[in-house]
Formats: sequence, structure tokens, C-alpha cells
Amino acid sequence: MALTQPADPPADAWRGAREILPIAVGVAIYALAFGVLAAQAQFSALQVGVMGASVFAGGAQIIASQQLVAGAGAVAALVAGLALNLRLLLVTASIREVYAGRPWWQIALGAHATTDESWALMLAQRAKGRPVGYWYLVGGGMCLLVVWCVATVVGVAFAHAIPDPKSLGMDFAFTAAFIAIARSLWKGRSDLLPWLVALLVVAGSIKLAGLAPSWSLILGGVAGAAFAGVTGDA
Amino acid sequence: MRDTWIVILGLTAGTFAIRLGGILLGQQIPTTGPWARGLRALPGCLIVSLVAMSLVSGGGQEWTAAAIAAAVAIVTRNLPATMAAGIAAIWALRHFA
Repeated sequence: MALTQPADPPADAWRGAREILPIAVGVAIYALAFGVLAAQAQFSALQVGVMGASVFAGGAQIIASQQLVAGAGAVAALVAGLALNLRLLLVTASIREVYAGRPWWQIALGAHATTDESWALMLAQRAKGRPVGYWYLVGGGMCLLVVWCVATVVGVAFAHAIPDPKSLGMDFAFTAAFIAIARSLWKGRSDLLPWLVALLVVAGSIKLAGLAPSWSLILGGVAGAAFAGVTGDA
Repeated sequence: MRDTWIVILGLTAGTFAIRLGGILLGQQIPTTGPWARGLRALPGCLIVSLVAMSLVSGGGQEWTAAAIAAAVAIVTRNLPATMAAGIAAIWALRHFA
């Protein structure tokens, strides 16, 4: 392993929690919007709080709630939410060394703390050459979990008073964050073709083949990675 | 009410199984060769796919704001600055363009 694990877990977790704060602001706004939706889906504040802490996957919670609001039933809501979450299989697989050789409770905690945002931020810091690892990921993830739970419960409790995030441009916060993180993951020209493959597969499978976005996302990631695996040099 | 708890419990169990399953899957993949190269390329490809997925449903305003955010990201390599630029750009485009 190229990166050494930092010697000071609490300090590393604290750094992770602090450095994820700009993204946590975006998460809080997204969470308020989810709370409003959850109120339409007849969720209680208790249910929203429990769901936030135990599921801890915003996109899946939103899609499942949308299905319930549309009257689709529990099974359809579950399938839609879990289909979107299948990408997390690739997310945790891609940082396998972070969890390697740890006791079971740390693996469980680390798995639960892994979100698109905490994962991507840790990778971005590593791309800058900082030796961040497991505790940085957990610190960032737990910070997001607290922000997510508090803001979703506030959202469901004050649903009638919350303005539309879109009118403030806040719906664009995550797209912009992931653009910044993609920039920091860029290692050079060998990334160009795999990234282009991923981009074209996502756009093509949604626009031309009419595939659901949650499946096209997985297909795009796998296609780009497969291209890099087959064509890259050692 | 019952439907809500079924969805919460099902999403909790399923999502945790997926997160844990990825760790187990990752440990089965060799550390050299094409599979390892693919796994190393996976994070960047997934991030690009996330951006592509959110832009496909948007139009010219979203694409312009994304281009501005990308330019800021390339120059500054700074996360908060890129987020601020992207949000300011989409807000201005929606209100004034």
C-alpha cells in the first residue's frame, strides 16, 4: 500500500468532519427539500429521523418517498431506492484497502459512513498526496449523518415554510461539488478516454435507450473502468 | 403508516448489505492486472457518471453553469470556490438569461 495510515485516529476523524463542511451545507439544503417531500409522503418526524440515521442515502430516500407520494406501494418504492443505491457497491469496492485488516465493527462503521460525498472527498485529498484514510472517511461520514438527520427532521417539521431550493440555484450544489472532485481525481491524459466512455455511456443510455438514470450511472462507471482495465498499461 | 416502516426497514437492510457487499467484492479482486486497473479507474469514472447523469436531465443553462464550474475547478482546484461559482452561475442564468 502506497499510503501510510495516519497515527492519530481522533485527529484524522476531526479533520474529515471539518473539511466536509462546505459539502455539508449542500447536504443540509438537499435534506430540507427531502423533509418537505417526506411530509407529503405522510412520514412523521420520528420516521424521518430514524430513516436518515439508518438508511443514510439521500438519493434513495428521495426516490422511495416520491414513489410513495405517487401511490406506487412499498415494494416499488423499495426497489427504486435500492436500484439507485447499487452504485454504493462500486463505491465501497473501489476503496477496498481502506477497510482491509480492520475488526468487524470498524468495517461496519466504515461501510455505513461511506457516502458519495465522504468517499469522493477522501479520494480528492489522497489525490493531493495527503495520507488520509479510514478515520478521515468515518469523520466526514458521521458529520454528514448528523447534518442529514437534523436537517431532514427540520424539513419535515417546518415543511410549509421552506422555499424551493431550485429558486436559489441550490439544486446545483452537488453537480458543482462533483465537478470539483473530478478535477482533483484527474491524474493525466490516461484518464481522458475512460472518462469519455463513462460520459457517453451515461448520456447515450438515458437519451437513446431510455434507461433509468440509476442504472445508467452504474453502467457508465463500469464501462469506463472496464475500458481502463482492458486498454491501460501496467 | 405500515408501508412507511416497511420502506424504512427494507432500505436500511438493503443499503447496508450493498455497502458491505462492495467491501467483500473489492477484496475478491486481484491486486494486479486488468481487474486492478479497472478498479483503480472506477472512482473517477463513477464521479464523471454522476455529473453526466445530473446534466442529462438539464438544459443549456445547466450545461453553461457546469462549464463555468469546471473552468473554476481547473484553475483553482478548490471545492468551496467551485461550488460557489456553480451555484452563482445557475442562479444568474435562471434569473437574467
